[in-house]
Amino acid sequence: MHLATMFNSNLAVILLILATPLLMTLTPSPLKNWAIRVKTAIQTAFFASLFQLSLFLTQGLHTTTTSWHWMKISTFNISLSFKFDFYSIIFIPVALYVSWSILEFALWYMHADPRMDQFFKYLLVFLITMIILVTANNLYQLFIGWEGVSIMSFLLISWWYGRADANTAALQAVIYNRVGDIGLILSMTWFVMNLNTWEIEQTFSFLNDTPTTLPLLGLILAATGKSAQFGLHPWLTAAMEGPTPVSALLHSSTMVVAGIFLLIRFHPLIAQNPTALTICLCLGALSTMFAATCALTQNDLKKIVAFSTSSQLGLMMVTIGLNQPQLAFLHICTHAFFKAMLFLCSGSIIHDFKDEQDIRKLGHVHALLPFTSACMVVGSLALTGMPFLSGFFSKDAIIEAMNTSYLNAWALTLTLLATSFTAVYNFRITFYALMNFPRCIFLPPPKEDYSPVRNPIKRLAWGSILAGFLITLNCPKTETPILTMPMTLKLSALLVTILGLLSAMWLKTLMNKLPNKSPASNTMTQKSKIPMDNPAKIIFNFSNLTGYIPTIMHRMAPKANLTMGQLMATQLMDQTWLEISLPKGITSSQLPLTKLTSDIPRGMVMTYLTTFIFTTLLSTLLLILTQPDLPILT
Amino acid sequence: TAGKMASAYLTHQQKVLRLYKKSLRHLESWYIFRDIYRFHACLLRARFDQHKNEKDMVKATLLLKAGEEEFWEKQHPQPYIFPDSPGGTSYERYERYKVPEWCLDYWHPSEKAMYPDYFAKREMWKKLRIQSWEREIQQLQEETPADGPKTEVLPPARKEGDLPPLWWEYVTRPRERPT
Repeated sequence: MHLATMFNSNLAVILLILATPLLMTLTPSPLKNWAIRVKTAIQTAFFASLFQLSLFLTQGLHTTTTSWHWMKISTFNISLSFKFDFYSIIFIPVALYVSWSILEFALWYMHADPRMDQFFKYLLVFLITMIILVTANNLYQLFIGWEGVSIMSFLLISWWYGRADANTAALQAVIYNRVGDIGLILSMTWFVMNLNTWEIEQTFSFLNDTPTTLPLLGLILAATGKSAQFGLHPWLTAAMEGPTPVSALLHSSTMVVAGIFLLIRFHPLIAQNPTALTICLCLGALSTMFAATCALTQNDLKKIVAFSTSSQLGLMMVTIGLNQPQLAFLHICTHAFFKAMLFLCSGSIIHDFKDEQDIRKLGHVHALLPFTSACMVVGSLALTGMPFLSGFFSKDAIIEAMNTSYLNAWALTLTLLATSFTAVYNFRITFYALMNFPRCIFLPPPKEDYSPVRNPIKRLAWGSILAGFLITLNCPKTETPILTMPMTLKLSALLVTILGLLSAMWLKTLMNKLPNKSPASNTMTQKSKIPMDNPAKIIFNFSNLTGYIPTIMHRMAPKANLTMGQLMATQLMDQTWLEISLPKGITSSQLPLTKLTSDIPRGMVMTYLTTFIFTTLLSTLLLILTQPDLPILT
Repeated sequence: TAGKMASAYLTHQQKVLRLYKKSLRHLESWYIFRDIYRFHACLLRARFDQHKNEKDMVKATLLLKAGEEEFWEKQHPQPYIFPDSPGGTSYERYERYKVPEWCLDYWHPSEKAMYPDYFAKREMWKKLRIQSWEREIQQLQEETPADGPKTEVLPPARKEGDLPPLWWEYVTRPRERPT
């Protein structure tokens, strides 16, 4: 009993530690060195969370606690309800560990920012809402966390509010997430109307014959928005406008996995619904493939890492579709370490190279920043699934599970292709940014010896190497893993990765050779004929311009709207109604008659007289003939 | 400015030079390694040089048109942009320097008290400015030709004890990036 109480109150302790710096803001004389205090609070919270984790690992404790009756609307109850199970207990220390490292890094990265304290507070509020989200056992509570991370994401992306691009990116994040929220609110409404509960566990017990496709579609839409799946993905790469620590924390390791986490929470429902599973599988495969294709030709260091995040989120969605939520969760955890580290290494490079983040202008970083480069390579290898680094334990297991299932060969092919692309774009970063001769305009002195740079990256590097192994070791297996399979299937993940790497290296050798044909010098006089249907160019442009989707969704659609609005205002309202229908309409209806009548009296006296006499005579005649008894005739 | 390069009010020479420069920039975006880029840059230069003595304006205009069309076909979809140039990744990152400097006079005394050194100096500068303003303006008026100034550069102080004209502008100029 006491153990369970301690176990449950651990969250209260964590939240209290995290909230302390925020509450201290309200004191009349605010303390200095706020940023360091926030970092220390998160560090302390991480160590506090280890208590709960150790109880879970040693005793196998997991509880659901309904602690406070919040409100009651006739027969509908909303209470404060927490769930401490495998997912939340593993996720909280991981999130705190990653945040601790990122915030420590931000002490160095943001040191010149005039609003650094505010930045750290935003990150802290974000972390608190994320913890609310993962521990929630109640959809209402989850919704608070869900919206909280969205708001913080908006504020942090538009951190450099002077930049038009940053504001646009923040708006994109908000608007795409609101589309996802339509799905979440739809599902919540459905649960209230049909099951009269928002408690997640209760929703499972009620469902026997109720068709659940509609709420599940809502949840998948919510996850699509939050986890940047195909269709609602452009916001994630645009979010790279935020400072690098924000990209590392929100847009790689924690917030974006909230959508996948939601589906993991609702997994018992999804598992019963083949339609939902298939949608997840196909959507995930499409997302992972699309994002990996876009990552191939990007030149912005952060954009490449962002697209790889999007691709990994697709892989997690595939795993949900394969009915393997535990593997998806494992990938969330391992991915958090190496992706956060990749971002921190990118941040270190970008900051040292005076904000240069185009890989075309980097190069030779391995000599200038050897430690950062080494960690970046470790991160890249973990991301590609190098055996026995942490990415391997989750990624390999996912691809094995996919290979041995009989679900969908199309999704399988796309995912395998995306896996091989992972090797290509990671090699590209290493080759252009880390290796070769320097191409930068400004050659900086190496500056990675500061402890706020080295320590966080080092900690995350250890995480990238060991986390997969440790979590797999302690992860309770609820589903029996497939133990026997053909050698080719077992090695396929590794094989496609090696294949990707080899093709990238081959492409690199092609790049280094001068083209055989030099451009003809006499074409200036004629119109040059460059075939637009050159397939390589089409594919390159498709990938480089991210599938034209931002152009279609953010340019063409608003342009069509604006054009239509303009037509409505100028042509329908002004021209048709206000001009043609009334003033001009009256004019045009009057004009022919007026013209006819005004054309006649023009100097033809004879005609007038004749007409006059003729009509007078005619009318008199008529009068006489029709009324013979008129007095004038008598 | 890239979109406005070949606008109607440029001379032919300006149009050609701008085409050349943007073509070089896009070549640089395509060919990442410096040696390969140099090779292609030389070829491009040779192609421009081939027609540099063209006297027939009709032919020259057609050449320019063909060049622009070729550029349009071969342009990089994601050309390299310097981080602090418009469209770059750190362009307008901090915009506090845009706040007019006189706003500091309207700070609340409690706000001013947070930066005592700066505001003490500022008060001193204000006095100096009042003292030297007449002389600064007089110097500018004397040195400016009747048809307007020839350059944007401000002149230095000419007499001993004088301050350079409009020294206030650069003494109080805010930093573009915080330090």
